[in-house]
Amino acid sequence: MHNKASLALGILVMIVSASGLISAWGWPAKAALFPLVICVPLFFLAAAEVLWALFGAEAASASDFKLSEHLPQSVALRRTGIAAAWILGFFFGILLLGFLVAVPVFVLAYLKIQGGRGWVFSAVFTAVVWAFFYGLFDLLLHLPFPAGVLLSWTGLR
Amino acid sequence: MIESALAGLVLILQWKALAFMLLGILLGFWVGLLPGLGGVTTLALMLPFIYAMKPHEAMAFLLGMHSVVATTGDITSVLFGIPGESTTAAIILDGHSMAKKGQAGRALGAALSSSLLGALVGALALALAIPVVRPLVLAFGSPELFMLAIVGLAFIASLSGQGARGMVRGFIAGGLGLLLATVGQDPQAGVARFTFGTLYLWQGLDIVAVLVGIFAVPEILDLVVRGSSIAGDAPVGQVRKGVLEGVKDTFHHFGLAIRCSLIGTFIGITPGLGGPVAQWMAYGHAVQSARTPEERKGFGRGDVRGVIGPGAASNSKEGGSLIPTIAFGVPGSASMAVILGGFFLMGLVPGPDMLTKNLPITYSMVWTIVLANIITVIACLIFLNRLASLTNVPGTLLVPVILVLIFIGAYTANNQYGDLIVMLVCGAIGWLMVVAGWPRAPFVLGLVLGKIAENYLYISVARYHASWLTRPIVLALFAIAVVVICYPIWQARRTRRSEHA
Amino acid sequence: MRIRFALATALALLALVGCNRQTQAPYFEGKTITIVVGYKPGGGYDATARLLSRYLPKYIPGTPTVIVQNMPGANSLIAANYVYAQAKPDGLTLGTFNRNLPIGQLLKVEGVKFDMLKFAWIGSAASETTVLAIRNDLPYKTFADMKNAKDPIVVGATGPGANTYDFPLLLKEFLGVNLKLVSGYSSSADIMLAVERKEADARAGSYTSIAPFIQRGLVHPVIRSRASEPEIANLPTDESLAPNPRAKAMMALRSSPEVVGRPYVMPPGTPDNLVQILRDAFTKAIADKDLVAEAKKADMSLNYVTADEAVAVMKEVLNQPADIVEEFRKYVKFGE
Repeated sequence: MHNKASLALGILVMIVSASGLISAWGWPAKAALFPLVICVPLFFLAAAEVLWALFGAEAASASDFKLSEHLPQSVALRRTGIAAAWILGFFFGILLLGFLVAVPVFVLAYLKIQGGRGWVFSAVFTAVVWAFFYGLFDLLLHLPFPAGVLLSWTGLR
Repeated sequence: MIESALAGLVLILQWKALAFMLLGILLGFWVGLLPGLGGVTTLALMLPFIYAMKPHEAMAFLLGMHSVVATTGDITSVLFGIPGESTTAAIILDGHSMAKKGQAGRALGAALSSSLLGALVGALALALAIPVVRPLVLAFGSPELFMLAIVGLAFIASLSGQGARGMVRGFIAGGLGLLLATVGQDPQAGVARFTFGTLYLWQGLDIVAVLVGIFAVPEILDLVVRGSSIAGDAPVGQVRKGVLEGVKDTFHHFGLAIRCSLIGTFIGITPGLGGPVAQWMAYGHAVQSARTPEERKGFGRGDVRGVIGPGAASNSKEGGSLIPTIAFGVPGSASMAVILGGFFLMGLVPGPDMLTKNLPITYSMVWTIVLANIITVIACLIFLNRLASLTNVPGTLLVPVILVLIFIGAYTANNQYGDLIVMLVCGAIGWLMVVAGWPRAPFVLGLVLGKIAENYLYISVARYHASWLTRPIVLALFAIAVVVICYPIWQARRTRRSEHA
Repeated sequence: MRIRFALATALALLALVGCNRQTQAPYFEGKTITIVVGYKPGGGYDATARLLSRYLPKYIPGTPTVIVQNMPGANSLIAANYVYAQAKPDGLTLGTFNRNLPIGQLLKVEGVKFDMLKFAWIGSAASETTVLAIRNDLPYKTFADMKNAKDPIVVGATGPGANTYDFPLLLKEFLGVNLKLVSGYSSSADIMLAVERKEADARAGSYTSIAPFIQRGLVHPVIRSRASEPEIANLPTDESLAPNPRAKAMMALRSSPEVVGRPYVMPPGTPDNLVQILRDAFTKAIADKDLVAEAKKADMSLNYVTADEAVAVMKEVLNQPADIVEEFRKYVKFGE
């Protein structure tokens, strides 16, 4: 698992540094210097990591924390996928419906579906969160939150 | 000097100034705590309110608010793994890990006490440095700043993993950060680099969106996977008890705390390095204090030193960054730029006057920082148990609230949807890095130092051709950079030798 | 009798209707006007907007709330595009952004999605002028001295597109003065620090931002661009020293937007009566003596430039002949 992720990242960095190199080639010298100086060693370092990941032994992990290990890998991956889906769903909800609508919809949906909470609890919790968010950010601070694509199309906002 | 210091204290202790300071503290408390509220924007929003105040009252208000933000930002970072402000991200690595092990109380205790220590050191430095501050800042030209950025980048070596492969990964992460720092319009030829034809990327990547993505998103994913509360299965009582232990930790590692405070103050004094740098260099230094490779591995998993270092530095930096703002009118950070606006509104002209004619006002600012931090820490300690108990709240309740806050936080930084996309992309990368065992700290270092290194190098070469390489401070800094890079290698060799003996 | 009664009633009704129209609530009552600023908080454009936001309500019937919204990015291209296409023309949105946007439009910079002439113009809250200031301890006292300098004079700058860079660049190209442009400083305040450090010798920039340092005795201005302030009226202007009409046209083109130093517009299509209300409010607010006092304290000086003048400047910039534009493009890039 660690190795596969490391391999994927290594390849990603190789692609990024290579394309950076190609883009920077056409720029005037001063603008291109730093990107080139970074991309060339980056490409080779990433290549080294890719080779290590393919043929080497498992490396010691870095001075950074690890994700929880006590669950079997397939379960962990599945749950991560679900979590990612929620996050992306929230993002698209914000795009389509705008913050003001997406926030309560998301909170309610998450509590009910993922959290398995009852209707009353979810509704109250959502109302509190939404009131806090609206009161603080909109009413008090006048921070702007656009309406969301769907609502503008249908002319509702 | 003593008379001015006392005069400054007297100014602050008037009831009106105190009242405004308390109001500022109250505001700053929540601004730092909530990821959606930025310290800079809130300061700007507060500027109109200071028209009616006298200069020292206005400064008490603004600085009271500003000093507190770094402390409570640490709390959010420790408890939830979300950078409350861009200057409090480094503390997440160890602070939040401790929270996950049920040691939230201890982590918070260490964070608060080191923050207070840092603030006091920063304020003391500000007070003492006043006579020498002008020559000090003037001695640091572009070549020195470039070399300082190199020293910062040298810490990548310490923050990388063990062994050759660990180093390689660390440098890849650092290199990636450096590359992403070049996104945007370059100041030499005006070329729009790596902007993919979008206007959004002209100014470069927004650090808040990147930090929130790379740190908070993997945390949230993990929280959902575990299905439990942040503290997991740790018993409830244990979470609260640790506060005193955390405070004791700070004193146990007093030397480290003081050194990191000094690092923070120093970075704050040198204008042009920016806010986020101090905490990461302090973190790198804290990692270096590990005596064996075994200890080094513990960093990132919940070593209290990883909390003390950044905690001290991010607060001491504030006192330090007041110095160039007051003495030269050059803001040391974005929030200082707004405070500088406040200066002008009050009719205070930054420059030599502030250090001579208006010295009592300058000292009143020092006292404000001291008092505000003390009051904040006391207030936090009172509420600390409640705050630490949040780590026992079930994940399914926390996750939606945290997600709402980070989405708002990322969006309202610039009112751009692009920031949300950057946050999500960095979230994916951050998750991959954690799974792959790649260190994220070097990436952040590269990102925050990249532009500085590039610009100051060009300025140095254009101005001095090659003679800047032999300037004394430049050489000294270069030596420090070499030591910083070689230290982990030398340390590993020494352990191997003692193992073989 | 009945006729008189009917007449009286009719008159009374007419009077009532007339009264009613006058007591009808003004359009802006209870509403919020948003000023969209193309920069982050803390800068000059933002400070001006925030100052205005506190005085405008007094002069708009209905006393609406006026708030500031920051929309930084791409040298305020994003804010301008937003106000042009996305904000509703209902009188509740104002935009203020980079004074060099007409140059961006002229140079057909990618990403420009607006037409400066189609905005509903309110005017400008200030005119700016660029000066070049050199450190006082240098042997050069006037611009003429500088022209005779043997050693290069180091001018610190932020980057192409900013007046810190463009103004000295044109001076060097066309007036033949020995300037060495060192670019890459992160802000104009940093350049000032470099001047104090003797790393740089001079700095160009807006007069209002350099004024505090002139008062402090650090630098003195030697040459200015076309707009003027009382204190620097005696300085030579760059255009007056231009050796040929082509050079003069280049400098004129660079300087023209400065008259419209803090542009304020509303989305295209905003009803004329609402635009007029805002124009009147701006005129009165900028003349308000409390505002003037506050601005003075903050080292800002506002003066209202009417919408007609602003549009005339826009037309002047945008109607340049193609050969001038091509030549200009070689020197000046769009930026701050």
